[in-house]
This record gives sequence, structure tokens and C-alpha cells, in this order.
Amino acid sequence: MAKRKQEGLSRRDFIKLTGSGALATGVGSGPFFLFPERAAAEQKTLKILQWSHFVPAYDTWFDGTFCKQWGQKHDTNVIVDHINLVDLAAKAASEASARKGHDLFMLLSPPAAYEKQTIDMSHVYQEVEKKHGKKIDLAHKSTYNPKTNRYFAFSDSYVPDPGNWHKDWWTDAGFPNGPDTYDDLRVGAKKIRDKTAHPCGLGLSQELDTSMAMRALLWSFGGAEQDEAGKVTINSKETIEALKFMKALYQESETPEVFTWTPPSNNQAMLAGRVSYVANAISITRQSEREHLPIDSKIMICAAPKGPARRIAAEHVMDCYLIWDFAENKDGAQQFLIDFIDAFHDSFIAGQFYNFPCFPSTVPNLKQEISNDPRASPPDKYKVLGNVLEWATNVGYPGYGTAAIDEAFKAWVIPTMFAKVARGDETPENAAKAAEEEYKRIFARWK
Amino acid sequence: MALASNKIKSIGAAQSPLLGAAMFSPAVLYILLLVGGPFFLAIFYAFSDARIGNAEMHFVGLENFRSILQSPSFRVAIRNSFIFTICSQIVVTVGANILAISLEKTFRGRGLIRFLILLPWVAPIALGAIGWKWILDSIYSVITWALVAVHIYKPFSAPMWLGEPRLAIASVLLVHSWRLMPFSTVILLAGRTAIPKDIPEAAAVDGAGFWRTQLQIVIPMMRPIISVAVLFGLIFTFTDMTVVYILTAGGPFDSTQTLPSLAFALGIQGSDLAAGAAISLFLVPLLVIIAYFMLRVAHRAEVN
Repeated sequence: MAKRKQEGLSRRDFIKLTGSGALATGVGSGPFFLFPERAAAEQKTLKILQWSHFVPAYDTWFDGTFCKQWGQKHDTNVIVDHINLVDLAAKAASEASARKGHDLFMLLSPPAAYEKQTIDMSHVYQEVEKKHGKKIDLAHKSTYNPKTNRYFAFSDSYVPDPGNWHKDWWTDAGFPNGPDTYDDLRVGAKKIRDKTAHPCGLGLSQELDTSMAMRALLWSFGGAEQDEAGKVTINSKETIEALKFMKALYQESETPEVFTWTPPSNNQAMLAGRVSYVANAISITRQSEREHLPIDSKIMICAAPKGPARRIAAEHVMDCYLIWDFAENKDGAQQFLIDFIDAFHDSFIAGQFYNFPCFPSTVPNLKQEISNDPRASPPDKYKVLGNVLEWATNVGYPGYGTAAIDEAFKAWVIPTMFAKVARGDETPENAAKAAEEEYKRIFARWK
Repeated sequence: MALASNKIKSIGAAQSPLLGAAMFSPAVLYILLLVGGPFFLAIFYAFSDARIGNAEMHFVGLENFRSILQSPSFRVAIRNSFIFTICSQIVVTVGANILAISLEKTFRGRGLIRFLILLPWVAPIALGAIGWKWILDSIYSVITWALVAVHIYKPFSAPMWLGEPRLAIASVLLVHSWRLMPFSTVILLAGRTAIPKDIPEAAAVDGAGFWRTQLQIVIPMMRPIISVAVLFGLIFTFTDMTVVYILTAGGPFDSTQTLPSLAFALGIQGSDLAAGAAISLFLVPLLVIIAYFMLRVAHRAEVN
């Protein structure tokens, strides 16, 4: 025993030593060391759930800089969870059913279906508008229910949905500035397909990017899911013309791969140098810049093509933050959004111009900033997005993004209608009629 | 001695019925909470206008069933559920029999082969399905790459495995079969090894060839075991949504949708809980019939 003591500390000595050391440290650092629950009780928590941004630098800034600083300022522990965009709907459904979850939940399309389980965001909009002026109409139509006079969500930003085109092939096809109209798209894509075998990449799958691209096509031809009053109008001669166009474009210039796509697929196809044109946000070019891909200087951006009726496209995604009525920190969540808009310019920079502001005054020099981007090749690659508000609109246009529109969006009625016609499985007339029945069925369930 | 020990044990159990109930109760609780609860909730939802995000509910009778019967996607989903289930079971039963016959013989590396065959069953289905998604991907498919490399197809005219409705259905079938084959193989292998060796040997002495022995002796003797494998396979395939959800998400344009995947798409993703519940209830009658046969087979095996 004596021998062991001489060799080193006994177990009892070790406990004494570490115990006294720990006590000393505890006394020095205050009572919270001994009663950590008191510290936790004084600090609030704000739980946020949002997508894993297509521009990873945005998440780095949001989590590591903005939320951290906001948390310190408001003595709040801000927890941000990120999930894949395709899982957002299921996650929101599970939180709403369990009536437990995050304080702030961000969805990428108008979440009107959840109105009865969210708090009214009018107050947040009012506070923000006091400082930053009016929101854009796109934000209003995406988050407001005119029947209840409530804002079921708050939108800080939207993402433009331009065309991405391969410079060399389109120049060879006689369109050095890319396709400006849907006729250009059809003619140019066919020339490229015939000469180089590279297909056009307008998606026809049950996924987000297709949904937006097909809505743009529908509206550009004068068709729409509903009118301003919310009456179903999908079965129209304009819709049939749009369907005929897509059938021709598919048969002349596309391959069946467009039926298999998920949201990242058109990014991959463009970056792999496989397709000549896709409709997508600027995530494609941002990735090629970030990874210094040789194709970067060949991928160009253009405005959404103009159709027989007008030039118009949906936002690519619409940031819609909702606060559950069962959220534990409603006040913190509202304050967070108000403060977030104060810092929106930083968000715009961190997201590398991916998210455009719903409060234009937060980025007063937007046109100049995007016209000279040192990362881009050429630096004015994104200049064309300067007038995006002239042609970007909301899901549900010309009406509001209602719960019925939300359900039809999630049930992929529009992509399915276009895909069946493109494949030749349905005539345009029958497909429009079937879509009308589906819309009426869904609208009837939300009356 | 062993007999006496068994007697003591059974007397002990009989004297403490509480012990038996306590040991049985976790299974009962599990079934009540995780199977019974959601099942009765689904019935409740199916006759209501329940929606995600809406706390109010009203009784709507058979309206949900009437509504989904009008949906073309629902009719496709019913058709696909049967196609995937029946066709995959045919492929699996034939394939598993072949594998079981091959693996019954002793040969070098048999252990490794058995391990590799069992792997798809052991690996999480989501992981396997993601692997297949990449194998069949429109841009990165290794199969397409190989076909182009040997000049069977040109680069932009190769088949789109998940983009053509028929190929997509075949792809889903392939993955279901790949996933279920190991399970059936193991069951059939166990059944084959349980057949007394002298029976096929006697048949061989009497001049029966390979096919005659298999078709008239081995397979009839294994019928109860094959039934177990088939019934489990039917349940696994009919109720599975992982393969379809990951591989095709129901596309192209709903052509690979099944009842579970459509119920998820409409009920959870589309916020229409009532419609989702009504679709999922269409599975019940068939599953009850399968469950009845499973119990009958199990009872017969117990009696034997």
C-alpha cells in the first residue's frame, strides 16, 4: 500500500485534488457551474428550420454570422436546422400534426394550407415596412389570404428563374444572345440537337424546377391555373397551345431523361455539358464558378423567354417563413425576421445574389451590384436579372397563392399534364380537361 | 433430469400468471400503439375532411373514397401495386429457388457467396435504392455508360431507365426483386437442408432426373416454406414505398405510383390527410387476406 502511494497519487488523492479544483473553478465562475439549469432558464431558445441552401456560403453566413450575432444581442440560443428542400413539405406536415417543432419554419412555396396553424404576420410586415418601405407584390400575393385578411407567412426574398444556355452551341445556332422567345427556344434547340445531339433540358418531371418552368410556359402563352378571383381556368385554348408547344419542343429536341429529374438534375446536366438550355436559378453558374469548372464561361444567363402573350415566369423559389401558433418563442421569431430584413444586404451578398429582396430598398444598388460580379465570367453575366421584377410572378398568378393552389402545386398537376402530352400519351385537349377536373376536385375540397 | 427441470419451469409459470402477462405486454403495447392507433386514426381520417394545418374536422361519409376513385393517378397506383407485387414475387421465387439449389452444394467460397447474396437484405433499403438510383441515373448511369462504351447505343440515344414508363416500371420491379431475393433464398435454403437426404437419393436410384426430383419431390415438400417466403414477400412489396419514392418519386408522370407512395404524396406532401388515409385503406382488405393465409400457414407448420 505504502509502495503504491510512493509510485503516484492514490484514487482518494486524485478525487480530493480534482474535486477541490472543480469547486474552486465553480466558485470563480459563479453559481451557474453548479446549477446549469439556472443559466439555461434565463437564456431563451429560437429554433429555425430551413433548407440547405443551393449556395453553401449562404448557410455559413446565416448560421455562423447572423444567427450567432443575433443570439448574442438578444441573449438567445439560436438553433438552425437545415434539411433537403424535397423534405420540407413532409417535415412541415409532421410538425403541424404533432403541434411541436421549430419556432420559425421556412418553406419554398406559399404555405397557405397551414394558415390555421400559423400566427398572423401582419405585424412583422408592418414593422419591416416602417423601415424599409413596401414589399413587392410577389411577396404579398404569396403570403396573404384576401378572404381572411391575414398574412400566413412572411417572405424576405424570392429567387429569379432565368434561362441558362450554352454560349457556343446557341451562337452556332444563330442566337448569340441566347433564346429571347419560346420560338427562338424551339428553333435553336432543334438546330443544336440536330447538329450536336445535345438535347434541350426543360424538365418534365414531378419536381420543383419543372413546376416553375411549366408555369412560365403556360403563362407566357396566356394560360393560367386560376383567374384573379380564384376560379379554375386551366382548360383554355391558351393552355392547349402551350401544351402543343411543349410537345413539339420535347419531340424535336429533348430526351426522356427530363421525365426522371429531381431538382438538382438540370444543374448536373448543364454542368456536365450535356444539355443546351435549362430553366433554373443561378445555382448552376455559382457552382461552376465555385469549382472553377471549364464550362463556367460557356454557361450564360438570359431572361425567361417571351411567349405569344407576354414574358413572364414564376419565381424559382419563394422564401416563406411561418411561425406556428404552437411555437414556444413567437416573439423571438418575429423579432428575428424584423432584424433579418435589416441585415438583408449582407444576406444578398452571402447568397451570391441568389435571393433577391422582397423589400427592394434593402439592396438599393441591386442593378449595379449584379452587373459587375468579379466571380462571374464575364463579370456582367447576371446583369440580365436587373429587371427580373418585370417578368417574375407568384405561383397562382394572376390570383393568390391559396391553399388549393398549394395542394395542386404539391400534387404536380401541371408537370403531369405537360409530361403526358409531351410523351404523346394524351392529346392536349384531353390533358387540359383532365387537369381541369383535378383542379376542380382540389378546389372543391378547399371551399 | 431435463424432464424434471421442464416440469418445475412450467409449474413456475403457471403459478405466476403475472409473469406471463408481463412478458407478453410489450408486444401487445407495441401493436396497440404503433399499429392499432394509426390504423384506427386512418379510418377516422378517411371519413373526415382532415387536412394538415387544419384543426377542425367534419364527417364527410364516403366523399374521400368517391373523390380518389375519380383520380387517374389512383387507378394507376392500384394497377402498379399489383404489378410490382405479383411480378416481383414470380421473379423472386424462381430466382431464390435457383440460388438455393446452387448454394446447397458445397464449394469453395460458398460462405462468401452466401454473405454477398444476403447483403441487399441486411443493408438499409433506402441506401440500396439510392445506389440503384445512381446506377440508373439519366446522366451518370454506369449501365448506360457501358452500353455506350461497347457501341450498342449512341451517347444521346441510350435508354432512360427511369424516364420511360415501361423501363421505369421494370426498374422498380428489378430493385424490389433484388431486395427480396436474399430473404427468400435463405428461407428456401433452410427448407432444402431440412429435407432428409435419403428421399432424393431414393428417387435417383429409381431413375428420377434432376427436374423430376425438383418438381415432383423437393418443391412439393417445400410448399409450406415457399408459402411463407411468398406471403412475406407480398406484404413487404405491397406496403413498401421506399423503393418507388427514392427511385422515381412516382414518375414519370405518375406511371410508377403505388398505393403507399400515392397516399404519402397526397396525404403528407399534398396536405390532404383524408385522401391519403382513404388511399391507404384500400390496402387493408388485401392485406387482411394475406395475413389470414400467413397465419394459416404458420398454424399448419406449428401442427406439423
